[in-house]
Amino acid sequence: MKRTFLLASLLILYFTVLGYGISMAGAPMDQIRETTDKIIAIVTDPALKGEQYKEQRRRLIRQVVDERFDWYEMAKRCLGRHWRKRTEEERAEFINLFEELLERTYLDRVEGYSGEKVLYLAEKVRGRHALVKVKILTKEGTEIPVIYRLKKNGERWMVYDIVIEGVSLVNNYRKQFSSILSRSSFQELLEKIRQKIKDKERQNEGGKGE
Amino acid sequence: MRAEKVSKASLLWLLFTSLLLLVSAPAFSEENNNPDAGLVPSSLDLEQLTELRCGVKKSPEGIGITSSENGASGLGLQRLARKEEDEFEDIPLEPLEFDEEEEIPGIYDPLEPLNRFFFHFNDKLYFWVLKPVSQGYGKVVPKPVRTRVKNFFINLASPIRIVNCLLQGKFESACNELVRTIVNTTVGALGLEDVAREKLDIPPQHEDLGQTLGKLGLGPGIFINWPFFGPSSLRDSVGMLGDYFLDPINYLVPSTKENLAVKGYRTVNKTSLTIGEYEKFKKAALDPYVSMRDAYYQYRREQIKK
Repeated sequence: MKRTFLLASLLILYFTVLGYGISMAGAPMDQIRETTDKIIAIVTDPALKGEQYKEQRRRLIRQVVDERFDWYEMAKRCLGRHWRKRTEEERAEFINLFEELLERTYLDRVEGYSGEKVLYLAEKVRGRHALVKVKILTKEGTEIPVIYRLKKNGERWMVYDIVIEGVSLVNNYRKQFSSILSRSSFQELLEKIRQKIKDKERQNEGGKGE
Repeated sequence: MRAEKVSKASLLWLLFTSLLLLVSAPAFSEENNNPDAGLVPSSLDLEQLTELRCGVKKSPEGIGITSSENGASGLGLQRLARKEEDEFEDIPLEPLEFDEEEEIPGIYDPLEPLNRFFFHFNDKLYFWVLKPVSQGYGKVVPKPVRTRVKNFFINLASPIRIVNCLLQGKFESACNELVRTIVNTTVGALGLEDVAREKLDIPPQHEDLGQTLGKLGLGPGIFINWPFFGPSSLRDSVGMLGDYFLDPINYLVPSTKENLAVKGYRTVNKTSLTIGEYEKFKKAALDPYVSMRDAYYQYRREQIKK
């Protein structure tokens, strides 16, 4: 009796773990792939080519990116120990500005898409966190290793850090923010980000030289 | 550059490297009993060379790529994913739970004011001299030619990579690098074509002495931002100096003036192929100096891990 119970519970455990494993397998990678494919589809869409569709194109990309990026988590990690000292309003404003800055940076990058291939190499899931490893292959044959760090939010895996050739975006911004905040106030940091966004706007209007 | 002054230093360096070799050889020999490792190919049969290629043999087009090829390679992907699982060993999932107080590692920078000064110097050098010259050069010389010139210089510097692969006990990589050099110098017309990468799928193994020293447990020391050369560390500067003696350019073109001219040309050619990268980097950064310093630190740490 005792034995059958043990066996049954073992079996149940086995199947739940296995079932869990199967249903979870590939989820973060598939979701990253889905987002990447959507973005590539937008930047390669012949109907959206050209300067007159730039705004529309950018809006569509933003939409896809917003569905996949956890700006709150990213902003929080970038501020590090400075996060706790901020009020809710300050945090909200910071997240907004930071999101704007990163989106513009990201848009600049993807707009330059020229047939690079994305190879999906591996994923690692532990509880609510995951890593997805991809490799970007340029036309010249250069390989750029990229790792996405993700956090599960409901059924969605949300990106909170991108590691390109070993360089973590979050760590890089965190170093910058902590260096700036060691010399200036939080308001000055916000002003700096605002200025950066404005500069970008101006540069984008001026067009980019090859 | 300093070819005349360094004969004494070069002797010292030789002594140092041979010592390093002696020290590292027994440590590495145990884990490297692969019979293929370190074998020089007996003939230049391409088939055999592909056999000699080491590490995970990947088929460049075989893995599910963009939208169109998703479904077809699902199984292959799973298999690959499992095989590559090991690659994550050294990449921690942490920080899983966010720790506000956690200090992320960085590089010590006591020379910051001086480094910042040279950062601005290099910045101006890029925008006022290097960029316009490279752009003008790029307008005259077509891209395929510039790519070949780049390949030539990469191939020429292969002694640096071979020796450092050996010093790090990466005999397979050293062998790959040797195969690359032989194939590219002969079939690839003195290195102008990277046949090894295109046909044999052997990319260059980017190893240098800074990484070798890092592998031996040496930390970066302090951050040094050199005028002209850019970001480096104490360890990597020592490495650069050592690699100087492994770079054939310095023996082929020993006269300081010509040597500088050749290296200047190499830089212009390289820059002409990457115009826009530095600009994008600067646009994304709030403090470009700190961003560069940290990116350098993280990047080198990753390279040494490999």
